[in-house]
Amino acid sequence: MPVTKIDDKIIRVDAVQKARGEAKYVCDMTLPDMQYAYMVRSTCPRGKIKAIHLPEFPEGYYFISAKDIPAKGKNELWMIMKDWRCFADEYVLYVGETIGLVVGPDRTVLKDLKAQITVDYEEQTPACSIDDGINCVGGPMFPEKNSNVMCELFCEKGRPMDEVFAEADEVFEETIETPYQEHVHLETNSAIADMEDGKFVFYASAQCPFYIRKSIAGLLDIPYDDIIVRQCTTGGAFGGKEHFPDVICGALLVAENKIHKPIKMVFDREEDTQFSVKRHPSKCIYKTAIKDGKITGVWGHIYYNCGAYLSSSYVVLQRGVFHGNGVYTFDNTYLKGEGIGTNMFPSCAFRGFGAPQTLFAIETHLDHLAHHLGVDPLAFKMQYLAKKGDETTTNGHIIEDVKLPEMLEVITRESDYWRKVKEYTPGCGKGIGIALYNHGGAFTGNGEQAIIKGHARLVRTGDKVSIQVGSTEMGQGFKTSLRKICAATLGISIDNIEYLDPDTSKVVDSGPTAASRSTMVVGRLVERAALEMKERWDEGDITTEVEYEHPDGYPWDQATFRGDAYLGYGWGVACVEVEADKLTNEIKTVGVWSSHEIGKAIDELIVHGQINGGIMQSLGYGSMEKLEVKNGRFKQKSMSDYVIPTSMDFPKQFYHIQENPYPWGPYGAKGMGELVFNGASAAYVDAVERALGTQFNSIPIPPEDIEEALKNVH
Amino acid sequence: MAEVKCFIPQTLEEALEIRKEYHSIPLAGGSDLMVAGSRGAGITPAFKGDSVVLIGNLKELKGIKENADGSVEIGACTTSAEIAASPIVHPLLKDAASRMGAIALRNSATIGGNIGNASPKGDMPQPLILLDAEVVLQSKDGERRMLVDEYIIATKKTAIHDDELITKVIIPKHDFTHIFFRKIGMRRANAISKLTLSSAAIIKDGVVVDFRASSGAAGPKVARSRKAEEMLIGKKVEELESVKESFLDAWNDVIAPHAMPEYRRNTTRRMLSYFIDALIAGHGAGRVE
Amino acid sequence: MYTEIRFMLNGEQKVYTGDPLRRLLDVLRDDYGMTGSKEGCGEGECGACSIIKDGKLVTSCIIPVGGVNGCEIWTIEGIRETEKGKCIIDAYAEGGAVQCGFCIPGMVMATYCLLEQNPNPTEEEIRVGISGNICRCTGYDLIVECIALAARKGAALWQK
Repeated sequence: MPVTKIDDKIIRVDAVQKARGEAKYVCDMTLPDMQYAYMVRSTCPRGKIKAIHLPEFPEGYYFISAKDIPAKGKNELWMIMKDWRCFADEYVLYVGETIGLVVGPDRTVLKDLKAQITVDYEEQTPACSIDDGINCVGGPMFPEKNSNVMCELFCEKGRPMDEVFAEADEVFEETIETPYQEHVHLETNSAIADMEDGKFVFYASAQCPFYIRKSIAGLLDIPYDDIIVRQCTTGGAFGGKEHFPDVICGALLVAENKIHKPIKMVFDREEDTQFSVKRHPSKCIYKTAIKDGKITGVWGHIYYNCGAYLSSSYVVLQRGVFHGNGVYTFDNTYLKGEGIGTNMFPSCAFRGFGAPQTLFAIETHLDHLAHHLGVDPLAFKMQYLAKKGDETTTNGHIIEDVKLPEMLEVITRESDYWRKVKEYTPGCGKGIGIALYNHGGAFTGNGEQAIIKGHARLVRTGDKVSIQVGSTEMGQGFKTSLRKICAATLGISIDNIEYLDPDTSKVVDSGPTAASRSTMVVGRLVERAALEMKERWDEGDITTEVEYEHPDGYPWDQATFRGDAYLGYGWGVACVEVEADKLTNEIKTVGVWSSHEIGKAIDELIVHGQINGGIMQSLGYGSMEKLEVKNGRFKQKSMSDYVIPTSMDFPKQFYHIQENPYPWGPYGAKGMGELVFNGASAAYVDAVERALGTQFNSIPIPPEDIEEALKNVH
Repeated sequence: MAEVKCFIPQTLEEALEIRKEYHSIPLAGGSDLMVAGSRGAGITPAFKGDSVVLIGNLKELKGIKENADGSVEIGACTTSAEIAASPIVHPLLKDAASRMGAIALRNSATIGGNIGNASPKGDMPQPLILLDAEVVLQSKDGERRMLVDEYIIATKKTAIHDDELITKVIIPKHDFTHIFFRKIGMRRANAISKLTLSSAAIIKDGVVVDFRASSGAAGPKVARSRKAEEMLIGKKVEELESVKESFLDAWNDVIAPHAMPEYRRNTTRRMLSYFIDALIAGHGAGRVE
Repeated sequence: MYTEIRFMLNGEQKVYTGDPLRRLLDVLRDDYGMTGSKEGCGEGECGACSIIKDGKLVTSCIIPVGGVNGCEIWTIEGIRETEKGKCIIDAYAEGGAVQCGFCIPGMVMATYCLLEQNPNPTEEEIRVGISGNICRCTGYDLIVECIALAARKGAALWQK
């Protein structure tokens, strides 16, 4: 078999099996004597549970609730904190909170039983929106603080902003809002619990098998090793299966502990749409000081709607705040972030992890400011592009050469941007927009070293080498990329590398599959383990294992959020051209161009697919994906009312990959999975604003919202 | 929940007998009823009655043909895809059929089901009502014909009797000189309608001989107003400008959108105004894009 | 009351005797173990459960099994063993159409129907042909390119 080289064009290892319909997702698995489970959920956004009325359960059918958690266990799931209860007991904090499970052999019987369960509530006034939360509608969620602020932080650099404002010719203030977004991974959330030799076994559609173990073990107060999590083929995740599987597996664990039979839970689409985590809605207030036509300082107050439990919100908020100046260097800045608790389904990870909200806000704000000053937005923004060595919002420094000028060169040429901006006068019905963005790779600061401590292990058996890490394939192509890195480093064929879906009892914890860290961090770990194995190849069947090492000289203080927040960024430019139908306000996108600097593409075809998909999700976010809230409940329930783009909605994309090898990544690669989401929505809105000669301060902008905005023009 | 009985007749005759005896719910393509009753994976959907009769494969209910008088007859279980591909179906109905959902749905959804379901967002009733199409309702005891506009009473409410089946739809021959169709969906394909509009006119020797419009997804049922249309009929083309605004006001009173009222009202007005302006401007015969 | 429901499934005669109102998708997955057809939405919106019924692409989640009495049904399990099916699957793999894979069997079925009807589709025609198959991962571009690739590589199979 030929030796695999890093630049070889190879076929994804999972492609044929998936296309043939042979890959087994959780929903495809059947175990002997399998039982099914459905969640019984709160229908009240905030209130006390007065009574739960159960019908008579036939033999073999169970209602599982907080009462089934053994005395030594605790009714809590451990994510960042332990605030998320496995089962609501005594009170409920949001619509959809798990109250119990119905478990038994027949799904029809279970649905009928579920329909007969009624819960009496003493209802309280819920706080649903960010403003509700700020104003403590219905009383503060945290009475000890007399507020709903769940988490907060700030960062600042340069001079105090009040001084900067005092000297300014003008302070340009705006509020920009971004909405909920649903992941719509085509495979809904699902898991099966079982027992094997006295241990609890989970088959899960999940990004982070080790997170599940840690999160749920406390329910029964058992050691992590008594829980085995086996990831199954995962049909898309995008952050939606980072922490949320804990919620499913936790409830199943309590049921399994009682029933001792395989129990399967697969969400229907309606459940997945209404009762799973979402992207955090945001409200960003920006005040920008202008003197002599130049920006002298940027002040931002950033609010994220966290929902009822913290989940990953504090880390999401941190990333949002750190990205609050976009790809620009401003001499003075102050950015404050507050995570607001509300009576909504908890928000959690979604591709971009907090960065897309502030990046959308700063890009749109600067576009509006440029229009206000009567200058071209791109020309205006280019004055402030960050460069190597510039001080970041956290008083660290930009470590790499910033290639944005070269990337802009490519994109403005390919899109004919400069000609079109002159030709398309505001409101003429045609418009072109552009956005710049970045994404800090891997965990914030020294998190990789202080918190994650990722490991990777390689095991050689004859001419085969097995990669044993906890990182998961969820569609992003990591099974292929990682095997390629390993094969190329060892100088053997990719066909001799084995990398199975992780089983927590068999692999080492390489950290969560999140934060665009897999290629950059785990890929590097595997490269290092492979280098060692190659050196010792003569020793025969050996095992090599490495642990993450943080490069010296890049300090980070997690208490004050000062220092080098990220050891490198991915960078992006997205450009979108649209035509507006003046009769109907329908927007037709006629061109999409992007350039991304990701260090190096380990596999260009995989990277190409990630770019296309990330940009499409971002365009959906900006244009059509509307998730509204009424009385603490999502109004949209299905794939027909929460619509995501089809093959007809956006045209073929032009893409460009900018090389800029990164010293601490495998073969120079950095993270890229989230970066590609971070900018297209702002470019789309910029283009539509120019085509219609109007301004939007929130997304998405379907035709009815364009109608509303146009009222202000005429 | 008791199991719902299911009949699978081989002929229309049998199906009508079943309807008479059991009043079973007719199910053709399934795209509405199977979804409305969905209870999740692995579970038989729920139905309102205690029995269902499957009529989707009945040959007597399929096919499109042209009658001697130029009218076109469409079997109730003809699919949207078949209608969209037919050379003899009126272009306004073809437009609506071809923009309905996506390919797989169009291969399942039937014209009879779309009318019978009586959803205000249904795609085909809108042009059918403009075209003065009729439904044929058959029972063991005979046959009735009525305008689709009269058949659909309100959202999810129709004039069908519980022993009848819709067997066909008959569209009279039209010689419109100008037609206009727009569907605004939630996205560019595979979308439920946010708003639809058809309009058609006959201009002969500078006179408006006929003018019609119908608005879908703009109220509890498809909106058409012959009274408003009459404001334009009989006018000379050069007089249209002077009556246009009062017509548009009258049409605005006809539609009754619940959600996004401003968007639906303004867009309907802009589209109708655009079509009338094209007539005024002497747009050549054919489709106004 | 329940008549036997007879239909051809991937070239094999099936006689089904259960409740005719069950969703065809459930019968395929639960009774026949054919799990290649996926449930993405359960309402005919996403195309993940696409199958071919009498030569036409349909979504099996909205069809009662009684509705296929006398019909010829093909699922991914049958199509993948045909020359045309293999050609499409190979093109999907070669050109990078597959990411999470959940929509892909349905997408392969849509591709099969498209190429049967139109062996030489333009980019626009391909986009129309898969517009009922929702994919959240790929942004569709590579799927579109792979379908064009299948049309080229399999020209001899379809140009008849």
